[in-house]
Amino acid sequence: MSGIRSSDAGATRPPNPDALEARIALRIARALSERSDELPHDITERLRVARMRAVERARELRKFSAAPAPQLQRGGAFVMSGPPSWWLRLASLAPLALLVVGLLFIQSSYVDQQVRAAAEIDAAILTDELPPQAYSDPGFAEYLRSPHSVE
Amino acid sequence: MPGLERRFQRTLATDHELSDFLKSVERRAFKRTAFAVRDDEAALDIVQDSMIRLAEKYADRPAAELPLLFQRILSNATMDWFRRQRVRNAVVQNFSQFETEAEGGEFDLLETLQLAEDSVGTESAADSVGRVQILIQIEQEVSQLPQRQREAFLLRYWEELDVAETAAVMGCSEGSVKTHCSRAVHALAKALKAKGITP
Repeated sequence: MSGIRSSDAGATRPPNPDALEARIALRIARALSERSDELPHDITERLRVARMRAVERARELRKFSAAPAPQLQRGGAFVMSGPPSWWLRLASLAPLALLVVGLLFIQSSYVDQQVRAAAEIDAAILTDELPPQAYSDPGFAEYLRSPHSVE
Repeated sequence: MPGLERRFQRTLATDHELSDFLKSVERRAFKRTAFAVRDDEAALDIVQDSMIRLAEKYADRPAAELPLLFQRILSNATMDWFRRQRVRNAVVQNFSQFETEAEGGEFDLLETLQLAEDSVGTESAADSVGRVQILIQIEQEVSQLPQRQREAFLLRYWEELDVAETAAVMGCSEGSVKTHCSRAVHALAKALKAKGITP
């Protein structure tokens, strides 16, 4: 705004519409600035507090990012400082290792359960009155497939 | 804004630079937001949120980038506020004034400016007493502009962003910014002239 000289308007050359618009716009903007300088005290105070909070937040974040790596101390047994050591990396892998071991254990117990169930069936068949040869009898196999066998 | 940029030209923004920057823009940010949401309390909340967002996400950026980043954050925060309001009220805001075609009629911008030039330096004491009223009327006319026009106008001429920066903040083309600004200036000049005010 300050760079606009009123005497320019009187120049003989035809005025540039863009320049005219800009000059009017800047005058209006200056009026708005004057108004914004007269904001109520409570609003300026709240803006000040908001600004201070924002700056404080930025300061906290900078401190956090500039702080050295956290030290790990386990009952005084060992202290680690500086960049994460292999102990720390190992410790961070522990939950994953536990998960894998747990899954393997579950799978193993499931297979055991299946084998045990099959063995029980085999034992039941073998200890039943029906001799195993009956299962190779085509007539008996037909009987098992017939609807009566369901009952 | 050029002055601002020069002031914040160094690489990373320090706390002091961040504070100075926020201090330099907070009043305009509040007024711009208040024009949009028409609620001072909401505008204060939006400006505060924008300041915090800038501090949390971009405080480690070069100081010269802060003005554009902040304007972008503020615009997004304002749009978020409108979205939340829309959801909360389950009523679509009346954006009928969002885009209005410039009304026809012969309006001579040059004449308006010429009147303004003629009045330079002739303000009497009585005029200065009424100047506050004039400023209020100018502010009212700005607040009544369609939203996009007002946004473009304020970013371009009040925040002194260039056309490309304004387009980036508004998420539109540079041509749209020029059109919005031109319509806004014509509408303001016409409205103020109708009230006997020459900006």
